[in-house]
Amino acid sequence: MARIHLSRIGHAYTEGAYALAPSDITFDDGGTYALLGPSGCGKTTMLNIISGLVKASEGSVWFDDADVTGISTANRNIAQVFQFPVIYQSKTVFENLAFPLRCRNWGRERIRARVVQVADILGLTARLGRSARSLTADEKQLISLGRGLVRDDVAAILMDEPLTVIDPQMKFELRRKIKQANEQTRLTVIYVTHDQNEAMSIADEVLVMEQGRVVQRDTPSRLFESPVNTYVGNFIGSPGMNFIPLRRHETGLAIGRHLLPAVPVEVLACASDQAVTLGVRPEHICFCRQEQPGALPVSVLAKHDHGRIFIVDIDIDGSPAKVKVAREQGIPPGRAWVALPADRLRFYAADRLIASA
Amino acid sequence: MSLETIDLTLMCEAVPHLQDINAVFERGRLTAVIGRTLAGKTTLLRSIAGLQERIEGRLELDGRNFSALPPWKRDVAMVYQQFINYPHLNVYENIAFPLRRKHQADDVIRRKVEQILTMVGLSGFETRKPSELSGGQQQRVALARALCREADILLLDEPLVNLDYKLREQLREEFRDLLVARTDAIVIYTTTEPAEAMLLGDRVVVMHEGRILQAGSPAEVFDRPVSEVVAGIVNDPPMSLFPGALDGRGIALEGGISIEAAPHMAGLPPGRYRFGIRAGELRMDGNTLRGRVVFTEVSGSETSLYLETPCGALAVQREGVHVYPHGALVHVGLPAHRVFVFDSGTGALVAAPLAGAN
Amino acid sequence: MTGNLYRILKYAAVVLWSVFVVTPFLWALTTSFKTINGVTGGATYIPWLQYKPSLDGWHNLFGGSSGIDIVHPYINSIIVTASASLISIVLGTLAAYGLSRFDYRVGIVKNGDLVFFFISQRIMPPVVLAIPFFLMLQWLHLLDTRLGLVLVYIVLLLPIAVWIMVDFFNNIPRQINEMAMLDGCTPLGAFVRVILPNSLPGIIVAGMFCLVFGWNDFFFAFTLTFTNVQLLPTAIVSLNSSVTPWWSLSAAALISVAPLVLVAFLVERFLSRGTLAGAIR
Repeated sequence: MARIHLSRIGHAYTEGAYALAPSDITFDDGGTYALLGPSGCGKTTMLNIISGLVKASEGSVWFDDADVTGISTANRNIAQVFQFPVIYQSKTVFENLAFPLRCRNWGRERIRARVVQVADILGLTARLGRSARSLTADEKQLISLGRGLVRDDVAAILMDEPLTVIDPQMKFELRRKIKQANEQTRLTVIYVTHDQNEAMSIADEVLVMEQGRVVQRDTPSRLFESPVNTYVGNFIGSPGMNFIPLRRHETGLAIGRHLLPAVPVEVLACASDQAVTLGVRPEHICFCRQEQPGALPVSVLAKHDHGRIFIVDIDIDGSPAKVKVAREQGIPPGRAWVALPADRLRFYAADRLIASA
Repeated sequence: MSLETIDLTLMCEAVPHLQDINAVFERGRLTAVIGRTLAGKTTLLRSIAGLQERIEGRLELDGRNFSALPPWKRDVAMVYQQFINYPHLNVYENIAFPLRRKHQADDVIRRKVEQILTMVGLSGFETRKPSELSGGQQQRVALARALCREADILLLDEPLVNLDYKLREQLREEFRDLLVARTDAIVIYTTTEPAEAMLLGDRVVVMHEGRILQAGSPAEVFDRPVSEVVAGIVNDPPMSLFPGALDGRGIALEGGISIEAAPHMAGLPPGRYRFGIRAGELRMDGNTLRGRVVFTEVSGSETSLYLETPCGALAVQREGVHVYPHGALVHVGLPAHRVFVFDSGTGALVAAPLAGAN
Repeated sequence: MTGNLYRILKYAAVVLWSVFVVTPFLWALTTSFKTINGVTGGATYIPWLQYKPSLDGWHNLFGGSSGIDIVHPYINSIIVTASASLISIVLGTLAAYGLSRFDYRVGIVKNGDLVFFFISQRIMPPVVLAIPFFLMLQWLHLLDTRLGLVLVYIVLLLPIAVWIMVDFFNNIPRQINEMAMLDGCTPLGAFVRVILPNSLPGIIVAGMFCLVFGWNDFFFAFTLTFTNVQLLPTAIVSLNSSVTPWWSLSAAALISVAPLVLVAFLVERFLSRGTLAGAIR
């Protein structure tokens, strides 16, 4: 187990074009981290730099207090799980899991105890005697993971989109097992994915990446509640956060003609030439009665049935937004009133979060 | 115009892929077929397209024998899961391909292709090859080709399943707008996601293990699922089900939990039943049930908790992103007026909560 | 290893290998312009400086004093190789398409077995077929004819075409066929309009293999032709006499390589234009 520190790490595959912009990043020992972003954002590059498969063009990699930048992958004690299961087809499940330990000359009894323990964590106990070839894709991926878990000198487990080839039905089961294994073994895990749900479900902390940079690094809840810019606000959550441009008034900020009550002081105080945008999630906007203080008049444009909920398209004096409504609740037709809860509002200027109410 | 399938059956080595499928698909309506993987949805579409061999039963289009026609005479357009486009043709020629087969004039083709490209948001992409496009763009080209030829029957086989999450969200809305505008074709769209079926379908057909279990409007299927199995398919996370008994005092579940019966259960004779509740309708911090968290899953803007309770496994969904450590204790309230009651032997619905206001 | 040293070594290796490959051609080129005097007097390389170039070698190929007429064998070779290759590719592609798209079953023999059967034809040493083919052609009165040779070459080249194309067709998803049929093509139409254009790289590779194997075949040309029809390899061999005519042989070697070099050149330009690359998905 190790604390992984990337010091001024940057990587450019060709001159001048950074796949990963130089920065300092630390992963604490025992934490589960997710690197989240679309293809090309640099997440796989970062993972490969940590494992040693790619030598960064600048900066150094530290495991605890040791500089491992020059050390090869094999000697860094990294366990890696790839998109495609990497197993020994001709061996049994037991032999597959025992292999790394045999290479390290462990005693027979010790190997047996350890393999049984790990197989139990992964739910593979019933399959130990079977040939690896006969397993399903998700079971094979579990073996790939298991080979990393059996070793006791593993610094970190790196997973590169391991659920990509798994059937949608089995993804759920596999994700659950990976999470359980993480919780039981408490190794440092770094998980790369482009799927928000995967990242938010598995990780203690998610690093959202875009074009080689870490845009926000936070717990899943805080990413959802306080996205640091409009990109994260759109990327996390379904539907994404509503972003409504605000106009300046003598007395404050307004959506169209309607003044917003309860705008934090920092927002009012920011430079008058900066455009301010309001961020509020569809689930936090609610329909209310006209008399309610702070109610804003809107027109209801359309409602879309999503089963348990309805997504309603509204227009607040020229600005479109979406509202999430539970199925049992009524949706007023035509003109209606909405309330924006003050504690759920986020304000953005120059595309950065400046205040939350 | 309507397409009717009559006793469509396909058996493969004694495993039924389709069993006695009898359904009617009307012109101008989008039918969403929902079911789990291997429910028979793809097989059904392939049968309608004429691509499935060894199928028994008949297909009739407006009373005429449709089964006798080979695929190239059926005027059926299909969009696959796997972004199928002609690799050797550019975007323009890909979309024009079926029109050329019908020997339409060049200027007519040009007008139609340009129009459809604007509708799918790919104007200016005419000369690109499919291999140069992203997954979402390729699927848009496939859809454009299917729409442009104005076929009588349009089949879409889980077209969004291979796209990533946010792209799926975006394309779902685009597809909805594009498909809704086609008022002169029979459109059939298969999916595994209840939200998609509800959003797109004028009519929802629920399939399971090769059979049609229920067909009706989205509201009907969602508010009154005809059985436990249907309730499991049209809810995500699936509805949690508990065995229990109904008597004069109320509902008695296992583990000593009891709640008052609700008005919609008034007419039921006392006895043993199975009770179902949707994950999103349980109340957090209620005091009916206590359970320990086995697993949490974040999906979009919701968090689903899977609990072990004295009455059985329970799925709870709450708004927002919340992290629960394994083994955390959670209290939930079970609102009786949202509970579904199913027959404990057959699983058929005997009482459903009153439908919502919309 | 530092970057520069690595680059130098890389280029050195490439240069060395190029020299190794090109030298025989250069040698043949210079030798073809020599006379018997130039050849026996020790190694000489540079014309006009070290020896007096003469066109004797070339002359002999076209009916000179001690030579033969190369033109007819040349044309025969082109005709036989081109026809056999063309027919093999056409038949082989169609066979491969059938093996890829349809399920055959004769007793316990299935698609995979049939493909292996085709491949197994090339595992067999050609020598084994010499006598059977001889007897067959004799019976058909096709010995020493172009047609006879073409038939024999088809038997030899067809497996190559099938082998390459089956793999190619297997990599084209079946849904593309289905899509084409739904768009209005009959199965044959789908094959011609959609599958074939996508298989162009495969056809070209198969074509090149067939041409090379066919053109270079000496054994069957030697066994199955005598006087009426002569192919290039046998014609060149017949140039030999008590004194080996190195100059004529060199010239012959050069012109016999020429057509293949031309084909390779054309294919390479075609490939590098990305026309083929775009078709692959």
